[in-house]
This record gives sequence, C-alpha cells and structure tokens, in this order.
Amino acid sequence: MQANGLDLSLFQFDFDLTFAAFFLNADKTIYGRFGTRSDQKDAMREMSMEGFDKALEGALQIHSRFPSNRKTLAGKRGPTSRYRVPELFPSLNGRFTAKLSKQQPARSCMHCHMVGAAMRKVYRSSRKPIPEDVLFPWPLPSVVGLRLDPKHMATVKEVARGSAAERAGLRSGDQLLSLSGQPLLSIADVQWVLHRTRATDRVSARVRRGTRELDIELALKPGWRSGGDISWRTTTWDLRRMATGGLVLEDLADAQRLKTKLGTRNLALLVKHVGQYGEHAVAKRAGFQKGDIIVEVPGLRGRSSETDYLARILASKMRGDSIMIGVLRRGRRLELRLRLQ
Amino acid sequence: MRLRLMRTVLIVAAMSVVGMAQNKRDDAVRKDRETVEPAGKWIYHDLPRGLAEAKRSGRPVLVVFR
Repeated sequence: MQANGLDLSLFQFDFDLTFAAFFLNADKTIYGRFGTRSDQKDAMREMSMEGFDKALEGALQIHSRFPSNRKTLAGKRGPTSRYRVPELFPSLNGRFTAKLSKQQPARSCMHCHMVGAAMRKVYRSSRKPIPEDVLFPWPLPSVVGLRLDPKHMATVKEVARGSAAERAGLRSGDQLLSLSGQPLLSIADVQWVLHRTRATDRVSARVRRGTRELDIELALKPGWRSGGDISWRTTTWDLRRMATGGLVLEDLADAQRLKTKLGTRNLALLVKHVGQYGEHAVAKRAGFQKGDIIVEVPGLRGRSSETDYLARILASKMRGDSIMIGVLRRGRRLELRLRLQ
Repeated sequence: MRLRLMRTVLIVAAMSVVGMAQNKRDDAVRKDRETVEPAGKWIYHDLPRGLAEAKRSGRPVLVVFR
C-alpha cells in the first residue's frame, strides 16, 4: 500500500519512519505496531530484527487468544480521522490521488512524511497554534525517562535519574507487559499509548520483574510531551520553513560559548544552515547568514534547543506575524526582522 | 522468523523512494511490485485482498510500510 488512499482512521502511525508495520486481525482489530525512530541519519537505532521477531511472536500469541482479549485491544485503534484519506488534506488535495500515475509512479506516490506535514498545515493555514500532541507526536519513551532495548518488545534498558519512570519505581531489566491496559509488542506500542495520553494523565503499567508481576503508575507532569526532541523528524523541515524561515539551528556548544563569552545558561542558537530557495529562503532574504548566533527570540528565555524555539514560536506566533530576532555576527549585535509563514 | 512470517498474511507497502533521479525512482516503484509479489508470500498494496485471505486462512495480517 502507498500512503495514497490510506485509511487514516485505521493506520495511525509515526509518519516520519522509514519502516513501519501493523499486526492486524482480519476484522481490522489492531494487535500492535512496530517501528520507532529517534535519529535523522540512523533510522534503525531503535529497531532490530530480534525485536521484530519477538513482536511477531507476540502478535501470534495475541491472535491465538482472540477474541477473548478483544477488550484489551480496543485502545490500540485511534479516533476517526477528520480526513478519511491523506489526499483529502487541504495541502495535498489536487496534488495527489488515491492511485499512482502509470506514467510517473514515483512523482504521484505520496511519502508518509507528507501526511504528518499536512496535519500541521491544517492549523498553521488557519492561523491557529499547532496543538502540542500534533507538534510532538509519538513521544519516545525517553520523554518519561525510559530507554527501551530494541532487541526486545518493551524491556527497560535504562531509567533516567529524576524522571517520571524513576519516580514510579521502574528499573533496568523490567519488562513492560502492558500500558493503560494495552498489551505491548514493541517500543512503537509504548509510543502509541504515550501519543494518546493527555497532558497530566497517569499511565498504569503492568511490569514483569524477575518472576514477579507488578502494577506501577507513571505520573506525568504538565508539559512532559514537549521535553521530546523533534529536530530529527523529516516533517520538522516544514516547521523550520514556518518558524525560522528556512534556518537550521543548533544549541551552541560549551566550548564556543566560552570563546564568545555567552555563558552556559543563555540562549545561543547557531545558524547551521540557511535555506536557499523559495519559502525556505525567507530568513536568507531577511539577512540571516550561516554562522550567526541567535541570542534573542521573543518569549524564549535561557538555554534552549531548536525544538524549544519551534515549539515557542509555533504556539505563540501565527502565519504572517513578524518577529525581531537578536543575532551575534563576528561579535557584533544585529536585530533582524523575520516574517513567519 | 521465517516460520512466523509464514503463519501471517503479509501485505507490503511502498512508503517512499528517496534520493534517486526521477526516472530511476519511477523505475524503482514499477519494479517494486515485480520483485515483491512473484515469490507468492506478499500481497502488494491490496488490503481488502489481505484481509480476505486472513479471514479464509484464520491467520493474522502483517502490514508493512517501507
């Protein structure tokens, strides 16, 4: 199947992946998902054949118990999509059809990341803030302090200090059996539960630790979702067009901060790339240059990442607004006006 | 894993073919189906057929986007 004509009420997954899988019953009940990504260059960092093998085995076990387990699987299906198929999104309508062109199959083939970008454009085009769950989709387990082992279905490899996972009592080696009552076949299944979790929900977990099974509850603090990093996502390219005018930004390294006397707690975003064409060249036309250091952005305080910048601007400034950005260039301070898209 | 795959109805989907010249990309999309289907294990971009096969055989479905 191509993304063209895809049933968006059934197939809800992370559209920034290069490999994704669904395990289904013939009646379209979802047993689970597979496919996780956390890095732009290394698409396979969070996946392994061993993990896929275990997910397949787990799916067969769920299938062998079906339909007595139907209730536990109900939450694996998302809400009915506002747009039934991708080509009905306003930004894709007229550009793509449900079937591929025989003459130009590649050009007429919609890439999955285009679906994710189209979801965000719905809000931006109507001058509304992009909701947090659309801007930060498919949270990685690391957002709650968990590093899961890609060679297993959902086994904890590390727990971050001070995280929600540590406060809940999770430990390295714990096997997550279910989250919010849903059986887990993969890291993607963990992400699905987090993806559907509201701002301050509590998430119940069934955990196997050695020979024991425990019930644990994860308490999520407001803003937990925006602790994630979206800079690796293909769809973030379009967010940069909207919020930076085509700049790619990177938090200035400590060594460079020392050289430029910027301190380690202040905002200092290095311009790594300046877009050269069309709507990705708006910052270039505004006077931004590669190597500039952004030191002032409306509403952004203290040391921040590119993701922080995007989240702040896309939540508070609408298409057509202009913002003044403070920039250091070879030690000289400049103020540049950027029109947002 | 081969045994497990055979216990599952397999559906494969072309997700994207990035970074090739347009003609090469067109050829790659055309050839994708030809390389995937002949072995008889995969159903290419036909969910209703996959679901019907799953219903007939009593097997679950594995849908792959790549």
